[in-house]
Amino acid sequence: MTALTERQQLAYANAQAADGRVNLEFETDEGMTLNMGPQHPATHGTLRIVVKLDGEEVISCEPIMGYMHRGYEKLTEVRTYPQVTTLINRIDWLGSFANEVPFILAAEKLMDIEAPPRAQWIRTVLFELSRIANISLFVGDMALHIGAISAAFYAFRDREYVLNQIEAATGGRFHPNFDRIGGLKDDLPKGWIADTKATMEKIRDFCDEMETLVEGNEIFQARTRGIGVIPADVALAYGLSGANLRASGVDWDLRRDEPVGLAWNECDWNVITHPDGDSFARFWVRLQEIRESTKIVDQLLDGLPAGPIMAKVPRIIKVPEGEAWVATENPLGEMGYYVVSKGDLGPFRVKIRTASFNNVAVIPWVTRGVYVPDVVTILASLYFILGDIDR
Amino acid sequence: MEETPEAPQVDEARQALVDKLAEELGDAVVEHHIRPGDDVWVRVTRDAWRTAGLVVRDHLNFRYFEFLSAIDWLPNPYGKNEDAPTDPRPEPNTEIVTGYAGGDTRFQVFARVHSLTQKLGLNLKVDLPDDDLSLTTWLPVFAGVNWHEREVHEMFGITFAGHPYLQNLYLPGEFEGHPLRKDFPLLARFVKPWPGIVDVEPMPASDDEAEAETEEAAE
Amino acid sequence: MGLVESGKLPKPLTSLLNTSRKYSLWIFQWGLACCAIEMGAALGAPRYDVMRLGVIPLPASPRQADLVCISGTVTDKMVPAIRRLYDQMPDPKYVISMGSCANCGGPYWDSYSVTKGIDQVIPVDVYVPGCPPRPEALLEGIVLLQERIGKEDMAARWKGDPIVVS
Repeated sequence: MTALTERQQLAYANAQAADGRVNLEFETDEGMTLNMGPQHPATHGTLRIVVKLDGEEVISCEPIMGYMHRGYEKLTEVRTYPQVTTLINRIDWLGSFANEVPFILAAEKLMDIEAPPRAQWIRTVLFELSRIANISLFVGDMALHIGAISAAFYAFRDREYVLNQIEAATGGRFHPNFDRIGGLKDDLPKGWIADTKATMEKIRDFCDEMETLVEGNEIFQARTRGIGVIPADVALAYGLSGANLRASGVDWDLRRDEPVGLAWNECDWNVITHPDGDSFARFWVRLQEIRESTKIVDQLLDGLPAGPIMAKVPRIIKVPEGEAWVATENPLGEMGYYVVSKGDLGPFRVKIRTASFNNVAVIPWVTRGVYVPDVVTILASLYFILGDIDR
Repeated sequence: MEETPEAPQVDEARQALVDKLAEELGDAVVEHHIRPGDDVWVRVTRDAWRTAGLVVRDHLNFRYFEFLSAIDWLPNPYGKNEDAPTDPRPEPNTEIVTGYAGGDTRFQVFARVHSLTQKLGLNLKVDLPDDDLSLTTWLPVFAGVNWHEREVHEMFGITFAGHPYLQNLYLPGEFEGHPLRKDFPLLARFVKPWPGIVDVEPMPASDDEAEAETEEAAE
Repeated sequence: MGLVESGKLPKPLTSLLNTSRKYSLWIFQWGLACCAIEMGAALGAPRYDVMRLGVIPLPASPRQADLVCISGTVTDKMVPAIRRLYDQMPDPKYVISMGSCANCGGPYWDSYSVTKGIDQVIPVDVYVPGCPPRPEALLEGIVLLQERIGKEDMAARWKGDPIVVS
């Protein structure tokens, strides 16, 4: 037996020490404590959930976050407005274009500038494309967490078509950084409209595929129906938004009820609600929303107005003093920016109100008394992105 | 923007909202500001913070909770540190200028609630004195304010009386300081001199834009 | 194996062992943030399939993994978990740092809670730049790593000498 080198001994000792810090703790009086995360395949990112169990039933469930906290609100104070636009793309990193829009609209509101109609329509189209990219991943991911792994591959494959279109227009698959105060960076390339319409056909086929594969599957239904019911008044008190609110029966969609200058009321589409409020409802609402988004994109591309792509803005952008709040219906829910400006090159304070922060706050309430596998189902159906929670 | 010589627009729905709030709360409403067609800000006194929340939720039917946060109105004393190290540092500005609906103190807590039926939003602000940074919790009003108050506590150091669990939400346990206060510096900017001081080449500009730029630079 | 560390291993055997090692990497994908989505696209999507390079994703635990790909922003709160899971991986192990946040802090270089690069905590073999890097860039990083593994000196690796990059 050869002698181990010092390095090998150190590595061995490290590994044993790592083993010693176990994840499971056994407590006899209060039940068992189970720690899920922060690196875990089923928590959508670096979320840590500490679950106190009585057998298989959950007594209390506490999410611990901060593992992706990057200090956005402090960073925006030392950056100029275009630099902030680059940074906030990365909050909800799946539907990135949607993050830029409320901030740009708030800055435009303070500067009293309105982007030309062509820019507003194209903004709406890109917004809906990022919604489709985001939610199609959710659909595949929720099936993955329930156990139907193949749906995730279909989702990634069909999402590539949408990302191709976003890349063709903006140059980046995600994090496009395309929105500017006063309009957009560039106009659409030639042939983009026809390509995008073909892509929308493919996405509709994807929705049909998901419905036959996943939604009608009786195992999926057994695992999601009746799990994690959130009544409407609780949803309002916690500030849930997006499909989570609509799946609890509340008919509220910021695109229809408080459009902020983008082109949603120029086309004909429905707001999808579901009365149940359980995990299946949240999945179903989101799947139908992908279909509605494809309808919106088709109609907008048919009627796209001609014109300039950028309003007249000064070279060096200084936003006048004031405070503004703009919220839009982002793929994850309602995302809003409260911009406080003092007339400088950069904002004074930006409060980023993200949808997932409120969506995740309801987890301790909704996971009382459910079983351990249901915790995963509820997390998957609430659909949060860690960058959105932690900012 | 031309100055149009017409009477300022009156936003009736929002004005009615402010009137009703003043009627219910009386002296607690210190100041308000309405941007017509857009938004309304109301500043209340510190003692009436929880009452204002209950009034707004029950009597005015603002049942949707958006967020609760705080602002530190002190201007940033450190700047961005993007100048050359040999340049003289600019004098930090210490004057506290508050925003809409006024304010007398450095720290303000503000919250936003929304009414789905009237399609209106309402911003509520409250001043906090510098020596006593505490406020009653809004937990009985909206259950979702739990995490928002925890975040404000760790970022600004404001305590909420009555909150059962004011632990750190985002920051690790050993973290010292309150990051979102303006006197908390971003140390990475001070460790090295800013590498972008020497610009490679001036941006091409047209004649009138170049004039406007030199005018702004001279200000 | 006394043969390996004494350095008397014949050259064809070394290159055979290196080749078999480099084409059978088991990648432990540590997806943190946006780069995790691109890594997922590289590993799982049919278009940028990484399995054609011999690299299989999704080991059951870090104790079965050869390669860890840290993708996304590393915060100070997350570092103990990263260190612990890196220690649980058995030697020989390799680290790919994907994305500018893992390389050097990225766009959050001045944040109070972001670690300025994962190489402050664990040794990194390949840095893949980008924000986020395209899946093809990650594949190129893996190919570069495979080339390095192919030229490695197995005796030095076994003894724990510092690895010489050629």
